[in-house]
Amino acid sequence: MEYFFSEKEKQLWQKAHDIAENMVRPIRDELDEKAEFPLELIKEMGNQGMFKIIIPEEYGGTGAKIMDMCIAVEEISRVCAGIATAYSVGALGSGPIVYYASDEQKKKYLPKIATGEQLCAFALTEAQAGSDAANIQTTARKDGDYYILNGVKQFISNASVSDVYTVLASTDKTRGARGISAFIVENNFPGISFGKEEHKLGIRASVTSELVFEDCRVPKENLMGKEGFGFIYTMRNFDQARPGVGAIALGIAQGAYEDAVDFLYKHDLLGNQYVQSKIADMATEIEAARALIYASARMIDSNAKGISKVSSFSKLYPSDIAVKVCTEAIGLMGPYGTLKEHYLEKRLRDAKITQIYEGTNEIQRVVIALEIIRETGIKHQKEQS
Amino acid sequence: MKLNQECTLLQNELRKFAQQVILEKVDELDEKCSLPFDNIKQLAEMGILGAIIPEDMGGAALDTMSSVVSLEEISKVCASTALIIAVHNAFFAYPILKFGNEEMKKKYLPKAALGEIVGGFADCSTNEVKVKKQGNDFILNGTNPFVLNAQANGPIVAFLPTSQENEGFSAFVLDNDIPGIKRKGNANIIGLKSAGIGELVFENCAVSQNALISAENQGEAILAEVQNLGRIFVSGIALGIAQGAIDNAIKYAKERVQFEQAIINFGMVREKIADAITRIEATRLLTYDAAMKRDANENFSQAASMAKYYAGQSAVEITTQSIQIYGGYGYMKDYPVERYFRDAQVINVLCSTPVDEKENIAKETIG
Repeated sequence: MEYFFSEKEKQLWQKAHDIAENMVRPIRDELDEKAEFPLELIKEMGNQGMFKIIIPEEYGGTGAKIMDMCIAVEEISRVCAGIATAYSVGALGSGPIVYYASDEQKKKYLPKIATGEQLCAFALTEAQAGSDAANIQTTARKDGDYYILNGVKQFISNASVSDVYTVLASTDKTRGARGISAFIVENNFPGISFGKEEHKLGIRASVTSELVFEDCRVPKENLMGKEGFGFIYTMRNFDQARPGVGAIALGIAQGAYEDAVDFLYKHDLLGNQYVQSKIADMATEIEAARALIYASARMIDSNAKGISKVSSFSKLYPSDIAVKVCTEAIGLMGPYGTLKEHYLEKRLRDAKITQIYEGTNEIQRVVIALEIIRETGIKHQKEQS
Repeated sequence: MKLNQECTLLQNELRKFAQQVILEKVDELDEKCSLPFDNIKQLAEMGILGAIIPEDMGGAALDTMSSVVSLEEISKVCASTALIIAVHNAFFAYPILKFGNEEMKKKYLPKAALGEIVGGFADCSTNEVKVKKQGNDFILNGTNPFVLNAQANGPIVAFLPTSQENEGFSAFVLDNDIPGIKRKGNANIIGLKSAGIGELVFENCAVSQNALISAENQGEAILAEVQNLGRIFVSGIALGIAQGAIDNAIKYAKERVQFEQAIINFGMVREKIADAITRIEATRLLTYDAAMKRDANENFSQAASMAKYYAGQSAVEITTQSIQIYGGYGYMKDYPVERYFRDAQVINVLCSTPVDEKENIAKETIG
């Protein structure tokens, strides 16, 4: 479909396409097999300006547009979602800095993130704080000019390869979610270490591990925004980031669909109407997911209000479609589809995480439902008055 | 559905065995792509390797229903172990028993019943293996990348394209020691990694016509019959995968606390459990119905396809949702559900793809 990309967007797509085909495709199998992070590739992507798209112009970037992120990530994920995840984690980590940090903090951190010199990650999840994200146990105790962080962050993407983290910790346990604050933490601060590295079903090119704070001293000027606002920043950052997760899922679905149709064509199986029915549904659902993601991204980029619901749409639907398309594609290809050489099995393993990370699809449904209930409540109140 | 006493006893015995023995090494074997030879040996002692083989050849002569219930119980814990047994019985022993000559039966079945040999299955009727006739021999060249029980190192029942003019294919038993066959394990498969699914490479492999189970070019009817029984067995395995995955997820949901309560209290989790259990019960009824039809000597082709189609789809859906109940933990190798998810994908395409199963159901319905 024609989505009327601007010239700049077309150039970005072309760049992402070239990176995906020339640099990602040749190494994707080996990285998946060895569960290895593509540090060299990510740095090269930085050289080519791929991190500039997540940073505003005044801090060395090209504008921090969600649409740009979606275009880039979809194209890379079409070839490898593990590498697309490894790349896009930077945006999740830098997002809060872009939106909520002080000018001084932005000047200090964003230009280096824009060039890829420094990689950035986001540390919220803990063993007891998954869907219940406000239940974090990591504490930040004020001590003179420092905050002292203690706690263990879990399932942190890119933890061991990043230079800077946005970390959520409780500055006031008695206040629950309203006692959570956000900090910019550098990996060379004393008291940081990496715990258990996870062995995952998929996205194995993206490293996932614990991030451990033991009396980690963080200068007080690294508090982001105000104390007690960290959870709100986090939720707003998720609102911004979800179309990008949708775009990872979309790339997986698109790649799986392309590979499956090529296979079915070569094996002369497209004449069968059962098969035709399936591929027609796949193509339709993929295009619906794409339209939803692009529309959400454009809406967020226009600074529209009330984006939570739309943003959840743009993660929920594409990720469900990604798992469905991969599963159906394997079903159409038969036993061959289950073998590594046809790449569908890897796409399915990767696709599964998109239903889980950055808020499970159940949490997305809760976000959407609560918003619908709120809107309906307002409508009824208006009718009554 | 009430099982008879004999079947219930077997079910209990295997449930215990699966929990007490198979469970211990299941993840390690999956990780290493190693076959569960210890399980197979002990299951052989319990008579399960000879499930469909008559008693006078040393088998247990179980009915289809008991075989399916056995596979379901094993598969709840390890689908790979269950598949090895299903292939050995339905795809290897059965065509020899039903269509082989006396000499073949004597040669293979008593050993198969005791598990001294574990037979495999290669359907080369549709892929790149080329067959040339040379005197009384057939010369085989090519590769089949998807051979069941390839790594079990027993003889293999193979369907090979013996006609140059695409006029049919033939069923053979290939001994494991004939020259020109190479077996390769396939670690490159998404799931059932301990089931020994692998590659068979033929290089000028000479097979004597004495190895023919069917008459030349008459393999199609045999394959259809083998697939029909296979579908029921595979349905039993899919059923076990689905049940095993949701059982694990329910246990987890009772223990996992979020928002100050066990997540089992949440409607979205309970909905998944309700959907899964409903689908599992429907799968069980379809699968047992196909088994009972076969045991009553009724036509069970449609029932078997319905069972297999529904069971495969259910296993895929339920394992997908079981990971979802675990959330991020379900994506990690530390928890068992990701294995069930991978295994379900392979089971879903065994015997036939979902598309082919549907066509079979439609054909049987319309006549």
